[in-house]
Order: sequence, then structure tokens, then C-alpha cells
Amino acid sequence: MEAQEFKVPIGPQHPALKEPISLRMTLEGEIIKDADLRLGYNHRGIEKLAESRTYIQNIYLTERICGICSHSHTTCFVQGVEKLMEIEPPKRGLYIRTLVAELERIHSHLLWLGVAGHEAGFDTFFMYTWRDRELVMDILEIISGNRVHYAINTFGGVRRDLDELQIKKGLDYLEVLKKRTEYYADIGTNEPTFVARLAGVGKLPKKKALELCAVGPTLRASDIPRDVRKDDPYAAYAEIPFEVCTSDTCDVLARVVVRIKEVIEACKICDYILRNLPPGEIKVKAPRKVKPGEVVSMYEAPRGENIHYIKSNGTDKPERLKVRAPTLGNYAATIFMLKNGFIADIPLIFAAIDPCICCAERTIQLMDTKTGQERTMTMEDLRRFSIEIYRKNPLKKEVIWPL
Amino acid sequence: MTEIELVEKIKQGLKNKVLDLTNPASRRIFLKVDKKDLVEAVGFLKENFNFYHVSTISGVDLGENFEILYHLSNGNCVLTVRTLTPRNEPNVPTITGVIPGATLYEREVQDMFGIKFEGHPNPERLLLADNWPEGEYPLRKDWKFERPEEKIPGGK
Repeated sequence: MEAQEFKVPIGPQHPALKEPISLRMTLEGEIIKDADLRLGYNHRGIEKLAESRTYIQNIYLTERICGICSHSHTTCFVQGVEKLMEIEPPKRGLYIRTLVAELERIHSHLLWLGVAGHEAGFDTFFMYTWRDRELVMDILEIISGNRVHYAINTFGGVRRDLDELQIKKGLDYLEVLKKRTEYYADIGTNEPTFVARLAGVGKLPKKKALELCAVGPTLRASDIPRDVRKDDPYAAYAEIPFEVCTSDTCDVLARVVVRIKEVIEACKICDYILRNLPPGEIKVKAPRKVKPGEVVSMYEAPRGENIHYIKSNGTDKPERLKVRAPTLGNYAATIFMLKNGFIADIPLIFAAIDPCICCAERTIQLMDTKTGQERTMTMEDLRRFSIEIYRKNPLKKEVIWPL
Repeated sequence: MTEIELVEKIKQGLKNKVLDLTNPASRRIFLKVDKKDLVEAVGFLKENFNFYHVSTISGVDLGENFEILYHLSNGNCVLTVRTLTPRNEPNVPTITGVIPGATLYEREVQDMFGIKFEGHPNPERLLLADNWPEGEYPLRKDWKFERPEEKIPGGK
């Protein structure tokens, strides 16, 4: 009997995706033959709105583009406008900005590790990483007063300074966090079921990653050492020693490895900043109006390269603000990864790019292409289905953890 | 290769196709080309200087014309290629043949500005809703949002 082609829509409302996106899969049996995307379920018209707000108001607007990488968008916007205003923030300001950025990276990556564990059916891992994520959240709360929208950036520097007690507490918490992250790296090595579930899933060869313009950890997991922090140093990154983390297996496992390495690296960066915080002012005064001009601002968000294009027209409002969040950059690559994979791998592959839909601005519905019959699966069903499939499959014994 | 050398080499390579070439800040280059030379210019940059990565495509409404900016990157520097297209007949050739990763960005600009990307493999709607009226492009300057009057059943 000939295999029938099915069309399966996933989303826009799907329990596995915490935010709305619509994926349309064409299946042949269990194999995904084609995939298409529809975005826009979370489009809020921020670019249009930004044109009618002043620069100061826009800091708060860009902060609300995303709930996880809120600091990424403000920093990207603020440093672009600073260039247009021709002001240079003081060193201490830049260091605090970098510190918050790295703490945000830790919290975002730990959150993702938990989700990856959950999707792979390793819920203990999920519970543990999310517990430890609270430590970072606490540091951020101590520094900024908030857990999510830190509101630390302003034109010409940052809004809050650090005192001795905050630094001491931050260092104590980071010490615990570093130990725990190393423990997770170790768990991965000694947990064959987890490694076996992730290895070989969602392959993205080096050549394809370049061609499809993947960004961030997804690109670095395909062994391409590109990182905006190194390539186009902003804030205080030119002065801080750190390594770009890569992995060469090009699959979901590689993406986990890259992110664990990055958490450890980010802990080191935070530690360095807290110990070497330069004295002095935290901000300079910024003008209200901005001279006509244009700027391309780049930032390495937890999910990858974030780019803002700002065009000013001499007033206190921008002429155009273009925001490209990293998730949108990874969609083209995700479609490639999904192709010729198993339907049971959809949640894992999709989660592996760490999608942030409110940033990029979607469900899985399965359709029989011959009969046109549709079957909607919830993400929870899919997750259960995927765990079941892999429980039946034999363990890939030869797989080794590459850390 | 420093940026000054890069600017010189681009000038030599593209000759009279370069309408404007500036280097306003470190690691930032802006290049202006005519839209008929766009695909060739992007191909040239990719082949010779490794500009394989397109970060995004921005559109700007300039009144008479639309400006389309292709933010390319080679890991060391961001090169923005800009081109103009008239408002009454907005179209540009697609660059997906040279850089396949540009597909979603082109669809985004198409939705928001109504610019046609000629030769795009899948020119369907990406962001706007299925019931969004034809011919309305939200990021054009003359498009204003008006909240439709709310009709409450049983209300006044």
C-alpha cells in the first residue's frame, strides 16, 4: 500500500508552543515532507507605534517587545540612538548594562534547558533548572527591582547603580549557580536516555546553516563561531575576556551543549564584571531631539543576533524603527530541520531554536493530502506521542556527550 | 582586510553600478545601487567578500519612493545595500536566488509595504491576517489605524 500524504497544522494555539505560531506540515506516514509557516498571530504593530512615540517612550515600548529578552531589545535600541545622539555612556554604565545582559542570558538559557528537558520527557531536569533559574531572577530583582522588565537602560547609561551589598549577594548567588550548572552538564554525560533522545535529531549542516542565515546558538551548534559580542563588540564586551561556545554535531544535542557552555561562560562574565566594576558616573545627560541620520545596531540576544535599524528625522520621534528579533532569523533553518524528520520530533526541534514568538511575532494541524482529512493534535498529545515513540525505540548506545 | 580596503574593492568591482558608498562608522558600510543591479551586486558581495548572511530587510517610506535596505553581514562588518522603487509601481527583484535565507524577510516587507518581490518562490502572506483587506499596507506613512466602531449586540 502506498503511503498517504497528510497535511498537519500545528498551532496557532498549541499546548507545546507557549505562544501562537502556525506550522503547516505535509506528512508521508511519520515523515515530514514539507513545512510552511504562517506568522502574525502575535503581531502588535510595534514598528508602526514606535513612529508616533518619543525616543524615551520607545525605550519602554521596545522593552515590551519580548518578556524574556526584554533587556536585549532596549540595549539594541538605546545603543543605536546613542550613536545618533553622539553621546558615549560612562564605563560603569556600560559594565552594568553588560552585567544585566549576561544575567538575562543565564535566565533565558536555564529556562530553555528546562523546556528541552520537558520536551524530551526528562521532567526532573526541568524542575531542577527552573528552580535554579530563580537564583538569577533574584539577582536581577536585587539589581533592578524587577524580575522581567528590568528597565535599567536609558540614553547615555543606566538608571540604577550597584552598591557593595548588591555586589556581594550577586557573587554569592553566582557561585551556587555555577556549581549547579556544572552539575547539569555532568547529568547530561551520565544520562544515556537524555543524550540518546537528543542526538541526531534536527540536523542542520554547516553549509545549510550559513545559507539559511541561522543565528545565535543554532548557528554556533553547527560549528560556526559567530557571535555579535566578539564580531561587533558593543557595551563592555571589548574589555571582558570570554569565549565563543560552539559544538560540531549540528543536532539538538549540540544546541543543548552550546547553551550549557554559554551559561557557564556567562557566569564567568558576570563574576568578572562584579569584581572589576569601574568607579564613576553611571550615565550622561542625553538630548531630547536627535539629528537626522540612520544607524544599524546589533546585539547578541540569548537567542541570537538582534538587529535594529533606526532612522531619525531631526525631531524627538524616530522616522522608522525596524526590529528583527533572532527567532525570525531561525525559522528558515527550522523548516529545513523539520523536513525528512519524524513527526514525533516536531516539539523538540521547534523548542531547540528557543522560539520566542512575541519577539518574532503561531499550531500543528495534520491533514491527509489525498483525502483532505484533518487531524489536530495538541502539543501535549504530540509530546506524549513523541515520548511513547522513543520509549519503543532502542537506545543509541554509541552516542557520547561531547562536553 | 580593513573596511577602507573593502570599500575600495567594492568600488572597483561594481564600477559605475555604485551610486553611493559610505562608511559612516566602524564596521558599518552603506551601499546604494539601482534596483536592476541589485541581484548582481548582492551576488558579487557574497562571492567575493563572503556576505552570505542577510540579517534582515527593512523598508522605509520616503513619500515618492520606497527605500529597501538589505542588511548583509560577513561576520566582521555590516553592509547595508539600499535601493529605491517608485511608489506607484513598487517592485524589486528577489534575492532569494542568491541568499535563500532572505525568503521570510521579503515576505514581511511585501506584507507591510506592498512591494512586489519578482520571482519569489512563495509570495504568500506571512504576517497579516487572512481577512486583512487587499491594498492596505500598515507601514506606509499614509496608513492610519482607525479602530472600527464597536457594535455591542443589544446595545444602543
